[in-house]
Amino acid sequence: MDKQELKQMVAQLLRELEQPVENAPAQPRDSGESLPDLTKLDLRQEYLVEHSENGDAFLRLKRKTPARLGLGRCGARYKTLSMLRFRADHAAAQDSVFSLVEPSFYQNHDLPFVQTMCKDKDQYLTRPDLGRKFDEKNQAVIRQVCGQNPRALLVIGDGLSSNAITANALDCAAAIRQGLKAYGIELGKSLFIQYARVGAMDHIGQLTGAELICMLVGERPGLATSESMSAYLTYKPYPGIPESKRTVVSNIHRQGTPAVEAGAHIADLMHTMLEKKASGIDLR
Amino acid sequence: MSEAILSVGIDLGTTTTQMIVSRLQVENTAAPFTIPKMEIREREIRYRSPIHFTPLLSADTLDAEAIGQLIRSEYDQAGITPQQVQTGAVIITGETARKENARQVLKALSELAGDFVVATAGPALESVLAAKGAGADQYAKSHGRYVLHLDIGGGTSNLALFDPEGHLADTGCLNVGGRLLKFDRSGAVTYVSPVLAGTHAPSLGDVPTPESLEPLLDVLIQALEEAVGLRPPTACLRQFLTDKAVSLPPQAPVLSFSGGVADCMANPDTPWLQYGDLGVLLGRAIRRSSLCRGSYVLGKETIRATVIGAGSHATELSGSTIAYGGVSFPLQNLPVASLSDREAAYPAPQLGETIRNKLALFDEPAALALRGVENPSYTDVTRLADGIAAGVASGRQPVVVVLEQDMGKALGQALRLRLGPQARLVCLDGLHIPEGSYLDIAAPIGNGSALPVVVKTLAFQ
Repeated sequence: MDKQELKQMVAQLLRELEQPVENAPAQPRDSGESLPDLTKLDLRQEYLVEHSENGDAFLRLKRKTPARLGLGRCGARYKTLSMLRFRADHAAAQDSVFSLVEPSFYQNHDLPFVQTMCKDKDQYLTRPDLGRKFDEKNQAVIRQVCGQNPRALLVIGDGLSSNAITANALDCAAAIRQGLKAYGIELGKSLFIQYARVGAMDHIGQLTGAELICMLVGERPGLATSESMSAYLTYKPYPGIPESKRTVVSNIHRQGTPAVEAGAHIADLMHTMLEKKASGIDLR
Repeated sequence: MSEAILSVGIDLGTTTTQMIVSRLQVENTAAPFTIPKMEIREREIRYRSPIHFTPLLSADTLDAEAIGQLIRSEYDQAGITPQQVQTGAVIITGETARKENARQVLKALSELAGDFVVATAGPALESVLAAKGAGADQYAKSHGRYVLHLDIGGGTSNLALFDPEGHLADTGCLNVGGRLLKFDRSGAVTYVSPVLAGTHAPSLGDVPTPESLEPLLDVLIQALEEAVGLRPPTACLRQFLTDKAVSLPPQAPVLSFSGGVADCMANPDTPWLQYGDLGVLLGRAIRRSSLCRGSYVLGKETIRATVIGAGSHATELSGSTIAYGGVSFPLQNLPVASLSDREAAYPAPQLGETIRNKLALFDEPAALALRGVENPSYTDVTRLADGIAAGVASGRQPVVVVLEQDMGKALGQALRLRLGPQARLVCLDGLHIPEGSYLDIAAPIGNGSALPVVVKTLAFQ
């Protein structure tokens, strides 16, 4: 194609652009029905490449991973469905970080409420130091609920995912209580901590003199799930304790370790920690 | 974290007796900071015995003493003692299981071979072990195809069907094998298996030629072709079935072969009277037949497939979050009472009643097997624990519960609370237990986190 032809083609295109569009798409009518919920689709069960050589084989691989594979493409781009789903999952992850755990969650399950020194989510995200401390008023609640020198405490913190806590914390906590009961260890009430960083348990340790604290906390959500919870366990925590003294059990969610089974495991772990008087890398 | 289990497999077949010793490498495969998950990562065969003819006193009696001698000397050869053996299987297969004193020999062997080597047989389990020993399940999984495995030995052909994920779909067994006829050195017939009655089989003392045996071979091939779906089933298949055929998959499976006759398929130029039986001719006939015209493979093990299956694939590991206490391992020959999903969903009182009735059918402690709940709530755990505790309250101990879904530790702790600290209790998950099986459970491994289990089928029906 020479220069001349190219010029003509561009000129033609420009003329076409100036002409009014004749067949403008009709305005969509609002039928009152909601669109299908994209996030309900189980991506592990969907293979979207057209004219595939062996789609069944790819599907068998897909069942083993949440990775976004075999989605097909249009030119070099994602298809609309994949693109929208990616944005929906990303939004769910963000929502989980920015939303608060519903008050009914702690009010209905006898979880006394405390809040770290953060005033709101923005401050929580930008000031990790404030997420590890409590003001005078909340300190008083902690002292009153937990008492002095308890053998073990179980606390629940929202952390970076309120979804994770709503989905898993109650089942997990019940299993932990049951497991410890078999060892003759009775837990007192569990606090619910809003705007909680893992280090908040260190301040609680200092305030109560607890021998062992277990904190269930929402993990930073990813695109695979926004419901993953962790348990952090620290023997005799105090502000400034090295992170290496903590033991963590992560990946507690429906596609990872089920909440009750994780709770049973954590109960055993807590019993071992009390026996060996250690946690983290000190626990052999 | 990595450790090894020493496992022994002994196969007492119609024709041959073999032994292997293998090392099962167990590793934690979970990501760091998550709950450990112990899995068998590698199966390394450390010793393979020579292939012995199975010692017989007469056509109907095994030579127990000679068999004992043989195994003792193989242990010496392998450089192991019975005390070192942690798991494995003695399996008595094919026509040998029908010998008069098979049961006594098996029991004696099991005691001789080690504390935890289990005695087991039954055509279904034999089919599975031979197919796994030959790698048929791996082939199915890596190629994404249905695989129908045929282990063709002396007396029987054992069939096992695997789906494209490598899971067992069905098993079957036929009386088709290389030693249905035996010949002396001059080629005269010395033995005719009773299963050949009414076929074109020669009589004792006849001296047949490969050509004159063709009609008989045609019948055996026809039975195999009918069993794998290459021909519609007829009376021919029914005559040779021992228990049942496999139900065929929606698409044509890849055929996979092992057993002594598969060896003969691989070496068709062997003189036909080499082994004094029909094996070489049967192997050649299979090669020529429609069985080898579609897609087929020879197993990565042929004559040793069953013994390798017994030594390396009989043992499974439980899940790694389980509960047990007050029990001295190994637990052996536990019969299984299965709860269906519907029964397991009953409210606690009715569940307890159902369990009590089921366990009352056994006059020894039995294991309770159920699928369990996927991602269970604490309420699910409580209901199951209430039901099971009520069902076993006045029964025998140990209380053994085996689940498929990952909830063994939570349920075990709930049962512990209800049954008391003194109760002898084992609660496992991660295991699929078919109805009517028997269990052997070995001492824990991996820092106590998992238990090796062998799921057996009934040895003598």
